[in-house]
This record gives sequence, structure tokens and C-alpha cells, in this order.
Amino acid sequence: MNLTATNRRAQITSILGTVACWAMAVLVVGVCVFIIGYLMQQGASSISWKFLSTDPSGSIAEGGGGGVRVPLVGSALLIILSMLVAVPLAVASAVYLAEYMDEGRSLTRIVRVGLEVLAGVPSVVFGMFGLAVFTLPALAFVSAAGADNHSDAYGRSFLVAGIVMGIHVLPFIIKVAEEAIRNVPRSYRSGAAALGMTKWRAIRKIVLPAAGPGIATGIILGMGLVAGDTAIVWLTLGGTMTMAADAWWAPSNALTVLRGSGSTLTTFIYYNSPAGEGNSIGLAFGAAVLLIGLLLVLNIITGVIARYQARAGRAA
Amino acid sequence: MADSAVMNETSSFDSGFLTQLSRHMDVQRETANARPIISSDNLGVHYGRKQALEGVSLEIPIHRITAFIGPSGCGKSTALRCFNRMNDEISSFKMTGTITLDGQDIYGRGVNLTALRRNVGMVFQQPNPFPMSIYDNIALAVREQKGRVPRAELDSVVEHSLVQAGLWEEVKNSLKDSAFSLSGGQQQRLCIARALAVTPAVLMLDEPCASLDPISTAKIEELLLELSADYTIVIVTHNLAQAHRISDQVAFFLMGKLVETGETRTVFEAPRFGETANYIQGRFG
Repeated sequence: MNLTATNRRAQITSILGTVACWAMAVLVVGVCVFIIGYLMQQGASSISWKFLSTDPSGSIAEGGGGGVRVPLVGSALLIILSMLVAVPLAVASAVYLAEYMDEGRSLTRIVRVGLEVLAGVPSVVFGMFGLAVFTLPALAFVSAAGADNHSDAYGRSFLVAGIVMGIHVLPFIIKVAEEAIRNVPRSYRSGAAALGMTKWRAIRKIVLPAAGPGIATGIILGMGLVAGDTAIVWLTLGGTMTMAADAWWAPSNALTVLRGSGSTLTTFIYYNSPAGEGNSIGLAFGAAVLLIGLLLVLNIITGVIARYQARAGRAA
Repeated sequence: MADSAVMNETSSFDSGFLTQLSRHMDVQRETANARPIISSDNLGVHYGRKQALEGVSLEIPIHRITAFIGPSGCGKSTALRCFNRMNDEISSFKMTGTITLDGQDIYGRGVNLTALRRNVGMVFQQPNPFPMSIYDNIALAVREQKGRVPRAELDSVVEHSLVQAGLWEEVKNSLKDSAFSLSGGQQQRLCIARALAVTPAVLMLDEPCASLDPISTAKIEELLLELSADYTIVIVTHNLAQAHRISDQVAFFLMGKLVETGETRTVFEAPRFGETANYIQGRFG
């Protein structure tokens, strides 16, 4: 019995494999750090309170100066609107899929395939769809009335963008929410049933609250998707650097603003980049830094939720 | 029929060191004078093509502890779950025969599942407290039954349930703590308290001590003995010693059939059937 025999070849292969994996991971992280670092370096100088609180100056002649307040508010507004559309639909669908749908039926397969297809539709196609639908005269109330010699509705507004964006992120939130609901242990449902609770009461009082952190994570990640999308915003919101009403914060102007055009951080970046109309690439980088910062904050929040969930000992 | 010589060998069951923990070795009560609260008549169960139970006819006497015993897969849990219609949740479940609770057919037309399950409570093998505080676990059960309840009344029902489950002294100062902060045995007693909070007539337990240590098991056994004064207890157990320790009546299941029922002492000391004797002596399990 030789306990000290070694297999050099196996040892070398093992070490090479480990190093290769490690190197790939370092490469990926390195690329991410480089991108964020470069953006920070280019855009950090633009960030100031003035930048955040002044509106963009619309004049191209001035080389597009000013700040980023309108796009910043636009992004926030778009996130709120799209979540108002998406969250109730997503949670209700997720509950249905996880609790009521019978996996064996053919209707189930149709629904699942439909969701997969919806998830795969490119955002620019969604934007085209939104434009096509909301330029119908019947839907003129959602956006400003048609331009002078067009009978179509304008088809672009915060409301339109909010609705289209909400539908775009719907499959993603449904998937995360359904997963969260399915992860709630069966034993809770058995316990509830044994107490005489109906299925709906058990869902309302026990299952949904237990799935809450998971669903919240899905919503926050959905917000990230909304914040980062450009195609839908560009097509269904336009790229105007001002709100439809000057005093956009006044509640009486709410409907005008919502039915009007505007911009978000993403369209602001596009607008000010060499590909867009402006030449102020510094402003574009500044807005990019803001956007990355927003996404990082959202991801940190999901991390906090995950740690809270683990600490509360959700697992039975 | 069993050989009488074999019968003499099985006259008493040795439960080893746990004898010290249990003071109730000879506490079995007669069951002849206790009227049946649940009875089944020729109960048969199929899951799709597979037959799980056949021709099960038995009676559960009121205010006694009845134990269902038998090897794994014999159908004792299936039978238990018929009594509160938990098997209804399984789509391939089909049932024949009748089961009556207090004289009423529980599978009859117009029977409300919620009402049935509030009269026949259930505790499961793995403790399954809800992901909320100790207080809320019980409060939820009460509110679901009674709707809006004044805080004082809710407090009193929660306390009473925890006292009945023998858990009050241990948790009275930490009612707002998460139910998961309790040990396994405490969680199981919480589940018992929760089941009792809706004041059922019958409490069914499906191998409640299977995942617990001997000391927690002994506490729960003592608890069940106390509760049987006010409730009817049906317990499924694969632990023969436990059945012998606490039950007044046993029902021995084997491969989907009910082989024998009777007073515990009689079945353990002088079973009518060879299979029963073999099982009790540990010749198979």
C-alpha cells in the first residue's frame, strides 16, 4: 500500500484549471471596474449641485449647457409610472401562475410560451408598437393632441412611455415574483389549510407577505431596467429637454406634464453625445455617472433586502 | 391465530430509559364507554390507479387518545388526512365509503371545509409555524375564525392556547419574537397551541415527535395526555413505545388494510392476529 504516490499530471491539470477560472473572473471584474472607473473619471467633473438642479438649456448654438434636472425628474417619473402599470399586473399574474394554474393543461403552456416571447421582444420593437397604438386618434387623451395637420394623436408622452415601459418589464417582474411565491414552503400552506383558511386567505395573509422580499427585489430590478432603457423612451417620449409645463412641479400642471413630452437620463445622454444633436460630451458623461450611481443604489437595496431576509430566518 | 406461547412473551413492552421520563405507563383508559365521535365505514382511498386504503371501518372514541400504528406506507397517514379532508388537495384522490363526524357525513353535500377543519385540527410531522411572531401565529388563527377581535380578548385567547400547549411559561416574555427563534420542540408546541386556538373537538397529529429529541417528545406526550381530558386525540406514530405509553386505543394498519383495533393493552399483550403480533414484536417494521 503506497500512500504517498503522486500523479503529477493530475496535479498540474488541476492547478491550471483553477488558475484559468480565476483569471477569467478577474478579467470580467476588471472590465466592469474599468468601465465604471472611466465613466467616473470622465463625468465626475460635471457633477455638481448646479448640474443636478438646473434644467438643460435647449439651445444647440450654446453647445447645450445647463444641467440635468429635467431628465433626472423625467427618469424618476418614468420609473413611477411604469411601476404603477407593471406591479399590480405582475403580482396578480405571478399569484395566478404559482397558485392557481394547473401545470398539466395546454392553456398553461400557451401562457408560458407567451410570456417567454414577450420577454424576448426587443425594446425598440416595443417602442414602435407603442407609437403605432398610441397615435390612434381614439387614444389621443394619453398624449397631446395631434400636430397641426395630422389627425393622429401625437403618440408621445410620459403616459405612453410609462405604459409601454411597464409592459416591457412585465415578464421579468412576473418571473421573479413567481419564483418568490413558489419558494414559500408548502408547509405554510398546509398549516393554513388545516386551520380552515381558504386558499385565497392563505395567499393574502401568509404566502404573499412571506414572498414580499423576493417580490420587492423583482420590482427594484425592474426599476433598474426602466432607468436604463433608451429605445422605448426615445420613441415614445421624444427627446425634448423641457417639460410640457414650465412649473412642472405644480399639481395643477400634472396632467399637462404627463401628457407631454420630455426626456430621461438615457435620452439626455444620447442627445448630448456625438451621435445625438449636442456636442457636450461632458454633460453626457455626467449623466452617465448619475445613471450608474442610480443603478448601483438600486442593487445595494436588493442586497439589503436579501440580508434582511436571511436574518429573519425565512427558511422554515 | 397467534400461538398462545408467543403471546406470553409479549406481555409487557420495554421502553427503556424513557420510563423515567414518563409517569404514565399504566394510564390507559377503557374505551368501551366512550361514544365514537368519528367513525369510518368501509373507507377506501385511491390515488389514481394506486389503492392506498381498503375497507377501513373504525371508530374514534371521544376524549381518548387513539393511535394509528403500522409500518411505513401502510396508509395510516392517508386515513388520518381523510378525517379533515386534507386529501382533497391531491387531484388524483378518490374516496369510497363514509366518514362521519358527530353523526354527520363529512363528505356530504353542503359540508363547509372551513367548518370541518375548525372542528378537526391537525399538527404535522415537521413543525410548521408561520413566518411571524409567536403571538401572531396564534392571533392569525383566531382572527381568521372570528374576524375582528378586541385586543384584550385576543391576548387572552393567545395566552390560554399557549398555557394549554404547555408553552406559556417559556414564551410569555417574548411573544413578539419570531416563531423561528424557538427550538423544534417548542415550535411543535406552538403549532399545537395554534391548532387549539380555534377550539376543535378533535386534534389529529401526524407523527408529531418524529423530528424531536426524547425530552421534547416526552413533554409533548405529557401534554397530549393532559389534553385528552378535553379533546379527542388521534395520533399517527411509527413509534410503538409511544403508542403504548400514551394511547387508549390503537389501530394497526398494514398495506392499506386495517388489521386490528382495540384497547391498547389488549392489542399489545394479546393481539388477535399474527401480523399484529409480528409487528409489535419487531419482526418487521
